[in-house]
Amino acid sequence: MTTKQIEESDSKKGKHEELKALGFIIVFLFPILSIFAIGGYGLIIWLIQIFGGVVPH
Amino acid sequence: MKWLINIWKTLNKPAKYLTLGSISLTAFVMGILFWGGFNTALEATNTEEFCISCHSMESKPYQELQQTVHWSNHAGVRATCPDCHVPHDWSRKIARKMEASSDVWGWIFNTVNTSEKFEDKRLEMASREWARFDRDDSLACKNCHEYDSMKWDEMSTLAQKQMKRAAEKDQSCVDCHKGIAHKLPDMGDARAPQLIAEVGSGESQFSNDEYYFSALTKPLFFSPTGDVEAGTLNVATKVKVLETNGNRVKVTIAGWRKKIGASRVIYFDFGINMLTAQLSIEAAKTEGVITPFEEKEDELTGLKWQRVETTLWTEKEYLLTEQQPLWDYARTTFRKSCSVCHTQPDEAHFDANTWPGMFQGMIAFVNMDDDTQALVQKYLQTHSSTFVKKEH
Repeated sequence: MTTKQIEESDSKKGKHEELKALGFIIVFLFPILSIFAIGGYGLIIWLIQIFGGVVPH
Repeated sequence: MKWLINIWKTLNKPAKYLTLGSISLTAFVMGILFWGGFNTALEATNTEEFCISCHSMESKPYQELQQTVHWSNHAGVRATCPDCHVPHDWSRKIARKMEASSDVWGWIFNTVNTSEKFEDKRLEMASREWARFDRDDSLACKNCHEYDSMKWDEMSTLAQKQMKRAAEKDQSCVDCHKGIAHKLPDMGDARAPQLIAEVGSGESQFSNDEYYFSALTKPLFFSPTGDVEAGTLNVATKVKVLETNGNRVKVTIAGWRKKIGASRVIYFDFGINMLTAQLSIEAAKTEGVITPFEEKEDELTGLKWQRVETTLWTEKEYLLTEQQPLWDYARTTFRKSCSVCHTQPDEAHFDANTWPGMFQGMIAFVNMDDDTQALVQKYLQTHSSTFVKKEH
C-alpha cells in the first residue's frame, strides 16, 4: 500500500467513527438525557408541592 | 464497553472530517424533531381518548361525566378529562404527568378495575383530587370560569353574596362546588371520612408499652368484652397500650383533673383546659380506674388539680403511631374553613385556654363534623402560645 492509500483508508475510518459518535449522541443519548431532565424537573415540582410549597407558574 | 470508549474518544476531539456546518445542521434539525416529537407524545397523553382507553376510567368517571353540565350544555362547550385534571401550565403539567406514574401502577395492578373496588376507593381518590384543586386554587376551573366575567345580576341574591365574597379572595372553586362532574363519594354515616382517608384507620398490631394516638373520639370500656361504656377518649390523644385482647386494647391515659365534683374530666396538663378523656361518673368512682398522684393549686382560679393516670379498654381501630398526620389535616382544615370568611388568626395568637371559647363561637358558621371539630380545637390548643413561643 502506498502512503496515499493508507491515508485515504484512515480518513474513511475516522469519518465513520465521527458519524457513529454523532449519530449516537444525537439519536440516543441526548433525547434520553432530555427526557430524564424533564422528568426530574417534574418530579422536583411534584415534591415541592407535596411538602406544602406553592410553585410559581 | 470498548465501543463506548471509542465513541468517547471520538467525541472528546475536535471533528476532523465532519464539517462544523453539517454537525450544527444535524443538531438543529434533531432538536426540532425531538421537541416536536416530545410535545406530540405529551399531548397524546393529554386527550380524553387516551384517558378512557383504561377500562376503569371509561366505566365510571367518564360515564358519570356524561350526566353533568360539563359534558353538554346550552353553550356547547365540553370539558374533557385533562381540562380539569391536568394543569395547563407547562411546569405543572410535567409535574402532574410524573404524579400520574401512580395511576400507571394502579392500571398494572388492577387497583380499581371493578365497580366495587372503585367505590371502595372513591373517597380516597376524590380526596386526593380535591387536595390537588385546593393546592392551586382550582386553577383548572379558572381556565374557563372567571370571577371577573360573572354576571352578578343574573344570580340569586344568595348566590351573589356567596360568589362575591369568594371572588374577593379569589377562592378555590371546589371549596364549595364538589361532586359536579362525578358522583360524590358516599360519606354516609362514616365518621370524619376525609380525616380517615388522610390518616388511615390505624394499626392492626400493637406493641405493649408503646405510645399511640387516637384518630377519632373513641369510647372507653371497663373490660375487653363488656358493653358498658366508661367514658370517651378525645381525638389526637396520646395513650400507652398495655395489652391487646380480641378487638380491644388496654390503655393508660395520663393527664390532670380538677378536684371538683366527681373529677371525671381528664385534661392534658396542669391548668390547661385541653380535653384528654371524659369518664362516666361510675368510672370515676370505680376503684382502680384512676390512679391519683401529686396535687397542685392553680393560683389563677384557686382550683386544686391532681395528676392522674387512667387505665381502661378501647377498641383497636383508629389508633395511630404518629400524631403529625392528624395535625397536618387539622392545619389544612383550619386554614381552609376559617379563611372562607376572614383572615384566620395565627395559631399562637391565643393561649390554650382561650382557643376553645374562640373556636366554639365560630363553629356554627362552618360545616365540620364532631370529630374534625374536636381535632381542630385540639390542634389550635397544642399549637397555641402556651406551647409555641412566638414573637408577635
